[in-house]
Amino acid sequence: MDAKEKQVQVRFSTKLPPELQVANTPFSVPSHLTRYGLSEVINALLGLEKPKPFDFIVEGDLIRTSLEKLLLAKNLSAETILNIEYTPALVPPQLQASHKGEDWFSAVNGSNSRYVFTGSYDGIARGWRANGQCSFSLEGHNEAITSVAVMPTEDESTMELLTASKDRSLRFWQITDQGLPDSLTKRAAASKVLKGHSSSVQCVSASPSGNECCSGSWDSTILLWHLSAKSSIDEEHTIIKRRKLDDYATPNTFEEVEVAPRCTLKGHTQCVSSVEWVEAETVFSASWDHSLRGWNVEAEVNNLTISCSKALHCLSVGGEGSSLLAAAGADPIIRIWDPRMPGTVAPIQQLTSHKSWISVCKWHRRSPYHLLSASHDGSVKVWDIRSKIPLQSLEGHKDKVMCADWWKGDSIVSGGADCQLQIYSNLRVN
Amino acid sequence: MQEKIMAIVSKRKDRSAKAAVSSAGKVQLRSGTGDSDAEESDLSIQLPSDIEDYASDIENLESEEDEGQGDAAAAAGDDDDEYEEGPSAGEDEDIADGNLRDIDDAMLDFMQEHSARVDNGTGSSAHPSDDEASERDGDLHPSAVESDSSEDEIPSRNTVGDVPFVWYDNEEHIGYDIFGKKLRKKERRNQLDSFLARSDDLKDWRKVYDEYNDEEVQLTSEEIDMIRRIRQGRIPHAEVNPHESYVDWFTWEDKGHPLSSAPEPKRRFIPSKWEAKKVVKLVRALRKGWLKLETPKEKPRFYMLWGDDLRITENTANGLAYVPAPKTKLPGHEESYNPPFEYIPTQEEVNSYQLMYEEDRPKFLPRKFDSLRMVPAYADFIKERFERCLDLYLCPRSRKKRINIDPEILVPKLPKPKDLQPFPTVCFLEYRGHVGAICSISTEPSGQWLVSASYDGTVRLWEVQTGRCCRVWNMNGRVHHVSWNPNPQLSIIAVSVEREIVLLDTNVGDEAAQANVSSLLTVKDSLSVASEKDSLVTWTKHDLYQAIKITHQQSVASVSWHHKGDYFASVSPEGHTRAVLVHQLSKQQTQNPFRKHHGHVVSVLFHPLRPFLFVATKMHVRVYNLAKQQLSKKLMPGFHELSTMAVHPSGDNLIVGSKENKLCWFDMDLSVKPYKTLKNHEQDISAVAFHNSYPLFASCSLDGTAHVFHGMVYSDLLQNPLIVPLKILHGHQKGVLDCKFHPQQPWLFTAGGDAIVRLYCN
Repeated sequence: MDAKEKQVQVRFSTKLPPELQVANTPFSVPSHLTRYGLSEVINALLGLEKPKPFDFIVEGDLIRTSLEKLLLAKNLSAETILNIEYTPALVPPQLQASHKGEDWFSAVNGSNSRYVFTGSYDGIARGWRANGQCSFSLEGHNEAITSVAVMPTEDESTMELLTASKDRSLRFWQITDQGLPDSLTKRAAASKVLKGHSSSVQCVSASPSGNECCSGSWDSTILLWHLSAKSSIDEEHTIIKRRKLDDYATPNTFEEVEVAPRCTLKGHTQCVSSVEWVEAETVFSASWDHSLRGWNVEAEVNNLTISCSKALHCLSVGGEGSSLLAAAGADPIIRIWDPRMPGTVAPIQQLTSHKSWISVCKWHRRSPYHLLSASHDGSVKVWDIRSKIPLQSLEGHKDKVMCADWWKGDSIVSGGADCQLQIYSNLRVN
Repeated sequence: MQEKIMAIVSKRKDRSAKAAVSSAGKVQLRSGTGDSDAEESDLSIQLPSDIEDYASDIENLESEEDEGQGDAAAAAGDDDDEYEEGPSAGEDEDIADGNLRDIDDAMLDFMQEHSARVDNGTGSSAHPSDDEASERDGDLHPSAVESDSSEDEIPSRNTVGDVPFVWYDNEEHIGYDIFGKKLRKKERRNQLDSFLARSDDLKDWRKVYDEYNDEEVQLTSEEIDMIRRIRQGRIPHAEVNPHESYVDWFTWEDKGHPLSSAPEPKRRFIPSKWEAKKVVKLVRALRKGWLKLETPKEKPRFYMLWGDDLRITENTANGLAYVPAPKTKLPGHEESYNPPFEYIPTQEEVNSYQLMYEEDRPKFLPRKFDSLRMVPAYADFIKERFERCLDLYLCPRSRKKRINIDPEILVPKLPKPKDLQPFPTVCFLEYRGHVGAICSISTEPSGQWLVSASYDGTVRLWEVQTGRCCRVWNMNGRVHHVSWNPNPQLSIIAVSVEREIVLLDTNVGDEAAQANVSSLLTVKDSLSVASEKDSLVTWTKHDLYQAIKITHQQSVASVSWHHKGDYFASVSPEGHTRAVLVHQLSKQQTQNPFRKHHGHVVSVLFHPLRPFLFVATKMHVRVYNLAKQQLSKKLMPGFHELSTMAVHPSGDNLIVGSKENKLCWFDMDLSVKPYKTLKNHEQDISAVAFHNSYPLFASCSLDGTAHVFHGMVYSDLLQNPLIVPLKILHGHQKGVLDCKFHPQQPWLFTAGGDAIVRLYCN
């Protein structure tokens, strides 16, 4: 053995099924080994025919350097046994489908497992299947759609969709499989129009309960809307107007119901760029006035304010315990705050790799560590917050990426200013 | 002889007149000419007055009359006591002073000779002797009032002027009278006749011949007296008393009108109490030793004759300004011709000297001589003296005061830019779509939208966050300027297209605001008809869009809104008296507030808070009070080509950019001169901008850069604004034509000649 070669005692552990587990005995490995070397070691120990890449976690951080440097950085003794957890590494996703639209995609939502809903600058919301085929389109907005949200429903066959638009209104769409038009040319109509904002609506989020939503706008207010499908007439907060509407394309007349907001949350001084309804009573919002706010919906009070130095464009709540706030905006840094810590001011983590403004960041719906972000530099990046370097960088777009979302747990949908809607799949995040 | 005397007499008179002038205020010498006597007045004129001629006369006289010399000399000797009281003649006359007296004497001698002869002949004395005359001087009759002016003298008969008489020698006339008739020469008496006449006429000796007028003139007795007095060296006029008793006209003593008749106060007679107190105080101070009398410094009995060379620096407080040259070493025993033995080096030592360096080697080797006579001349004398002189001459011996200034001190202490965050630094977004240079941009008050006007004839509406072009208006003409209404309820943009201002509806407000906007943007017919008549501008409906078109007489360069969004002012630089027009949107009216402009109007701005209007011409910025309708201030940037200006949101500070690459900041409370002038750009400054809320301002230039500054205005009036250059923003391929700050964020939009709008973020 080379005298210079240092050895490190390691013990591997994993949460993977038993066939991918190695013996719980300490191994002695050379200290210059990096992630790739360790992955080879595990592959050799498991005796896999097809090599499988693994990622290694030491004290909550992914190994991105050699073990030697890691020990120095973490100030650990080389004498003790190092506990390393390994997980399957994220393989580069494959471009499953790409569709060239007619206009910029401004919003995408992957909450529904069957369809991807997008909104675009031509004011039409569309539903897409996994193969990149547009299965239906929802027309009604006069201006660009800025945000799309999906109402959680118990019934699989009905889909409830919310779209926010620059025409100062939101629309609520109910689509059932039966009523779904077969061909692309057929259009569904909105069942409710939510009017109350005095300026462009920038974002919308549905409540987990499924009958309420909130929206943020350029008029710096957050409006809460009550959208009970059945008994909306009875609600005292909603004023209902019925009017005959001649739809421009179809001769048949629809009944459009106008809904007024239930209440207004005031506190932001500038455009509310992103809202997220997390729990039954909690709404988080991000704004251009450099602040993140938490609201109690029942009491209609602002109970949390975190200020940042930059204007914020996007917000996502998720991660560990579904309580971390990831927000980004007019700079290339994603900042993550933990609002559970008292007196939260400074972000607990900053992720830096983008080159331009970040248009969207989204936590993975199940994984507490994974995050995706899309930026004006044309890239979509997948992050593991245990590592400072992005896991994957998807450079498929030729222009600004305006929107991106996770879909079905292992796919990423992104749309951009190059009118492309791209679906990457086979991204095994657990 | 006669001519000479005549000349002398007239000369004498001339001189006395001159003396009278030169000694004004002193004892006056009056001309003896009586205005009553025509002959005398004739005498006084037209004889050569140059001193040179005079001198030549004298020479002739002297050569002719030798017998007069002795008298003249005697007279010159004894006349001093009297004559010094006489006229203080000018310098030019002093030259010939002695000679003058000679002449006078000679003349009088001559005259007396004749008179004596006459006296002898007749036995009667017509004139007193010299001595008698001098005794009589004191009580000579005071003459009547005489006039000095020459105006009342009778002019001479002859009018030929000062020409040589030789010219008329062969003529029958001597000249011409005042009417131009020839004056015939009189028959001259021959010698015999004259002798007979002299013996017949007792007064003939008084006659002198006036050659000029060709007549004989008889001197009066006063004139004779005067000549005699002159000869004696006394004052010519008998009436002048050189020793007049002094009358003290202005005496003040013992006059009957004292200023105060109050009795003498008592205090004048009793000793002063104050002085007594002072004395007591001084005495006490002396006794107690507070006051030390200055004792004369005791001079040391012995002192160093040549001073102490080593302690020169004590001579002055700061030491001497020069460094004195070192003294040469005085000779010691070794230089003696007979030094003691111990000074004489042995042969070994001499040999060892040879091995030493030349500098270390002793210059002088002591030697022993039997007697002083044997000592040879010192071989190195000249060389050493020369070196000493060189040393004295070449070595600078003045103490040089060197000032050590750290260049860092001279740089003003400014805070570091990184402490003044946030400010725009990085370009993250570009707004692409125009095909021509973008000349103007404007932001919506909330900061969601941006409009840009380009030379390609289009106006584009951009979404700030995404960089998407949401609307394009084709204006069918060259667009100069675009400006968004600052009222958030009125989403109207004013676009200046050639000779028109087009008020466009951007459709970004809510329904109520939109209804208001569309009602504002419908032309009221009655008004439009009325406005056509006065022909200032015409308000008409735009051909393509839901908009109003305001057609001007001249091309409109820029539009600026009042902060309430109802009034807006337009600038048409070629409009002369109609260069600045103020329009009202709600009433669709236009007025011309100025009758006249002092220069070429470049830009107009409304004060953000008060009713003031800033009008920038190429040289000055004038601030008009619109409420009082008067000029309030005139700011003088000192530029010749002012191009742009921007006013601070508080309204008391103004920045002005010029085409001389300079930018200046006015604090209007401070002065009408710039508070700071910055020469930051390499080419013309095209636009300057203030941020609404952050203490930032920016300037952009045709050199393709935009400069961002920290410009903090303190509410404390005593504290001057703080200006710190923060960042130079590069990126544009061509010149930057306009820059605007985002209304809310610390971001800067720049519009370039390369058809791109860039957004620089913090």
